[in-house]
Amino acid sequence: MAAAVSMPSVSQPKSMKRPTHWSEEVEEAYRFQLAGYRDEIEYREVQRTDHIDRWPHNGFVKKLVRRDGCFYYYNKTRECPDKQINKTKLYAY
Amino acid sequence: MPGRSVDLRQTVPFTHLVDIFEKNNLAKPEPPLSGAFKVRDTPMTSFRKFYERGDFPIALEHDTKGNKIAWKVEIEKLDYHHYLPLFFDGLCETEHPYEFFARQGVHDMLEHGGSKILPVIPQLIIPIKNALNTRKHKVLCTTLKVLQHLVVSAEMVGEALVPYYRQILPVMNIFKNKNLNSGDGIDYSQQKRENVGDLIQETLEAFERYGGEDAFINIKYMVPTYESCMLN
Repeated sequence: MAAAVSMPSVSQPKSMKRPTHWSEEVEEAYRFQLAGYRDEIEYREVQRTDHIDRWPHNGFVKKLVRRDGCFYYYNKTRECPDKQINKTKLYAY
Repeated sequence: MPGRSVDLRQTVPFTHLVDIFEKNNLAKPEPPLSGAFKVRDTPMTSFRKFYERGDFPIALEHDTKGNKIAWKVEIEKLDYHHYLPLFFDGLCETEHPYEFFARQGVHDMLEHGGSKILPVIPQLIIPIKNALNTRKHKVLCTTLKVLQHLVVSAEMVGEALVPYYRQILPVMNIFKNKNLNSGDGIDYSQQKRENVGDLIQETLEAFERYGGEDAFINIKYMVPTYESCMLN
């Protein structure tokens, strides 16, 4: 709880919705959530970094560090399967 | 009719009577099976040995989305000369978790290897050849998909594979026609990409596309029924 209190309010999302169709935004959220983060903002806070490896040709996330220090590598192309689309969460601030 | 002796002079060529004669002619032994399609067993792979010893920098996931490997070190820092042939060696495996780690490990290393892949190609040939030589359906499918990924993984890899067609292509020649004629019925292996005949055709086409100008004639030499996908 102490950690939650000390977190700045900016990082707390105001709302969440579940997508019905695939889009690049969904893909982005899917990749972060697979690695155990809410989204890019939380990733930046937890890892204390501004650098995120992305594929140069389409900007998809390439590599993420999990909370336990392991690395997740992502494909060049779409990874989010159809049945995971509505399980992905899109947060708004 | 079994048991009835057939006079060859009474038989009409190219009819079933000839077959009956052949069957009843006990003096002539049946030709032995060549066993070209027979599944071959593989001895324990060194991939399995290294995995059990804990040599790989990978962690097993126990969640429901089990389609990723958690790498303990960055792939960019891995020694490709050591690890890539080992992962390829694991392609022969059919059991979990070895099969999964080998397949996914190869996938990740190829996707993120870039220029580090090309120098390792000569070391990959023997594992690829061993995997294809098992003639197991599952192993064939995985290996063919890996080969398709390999030729597009980096520049010049397709060309670098041309000298090794002699090692890789004979098994493809054997299974090229392994397809199902279901008339107008649905063959679900096509959807699942488990149809060996189709996978081989795709792989050979990828070889030709990325193998440079010598690719076609070399493929044709090993797989005579292959027709070019680019010249026509």
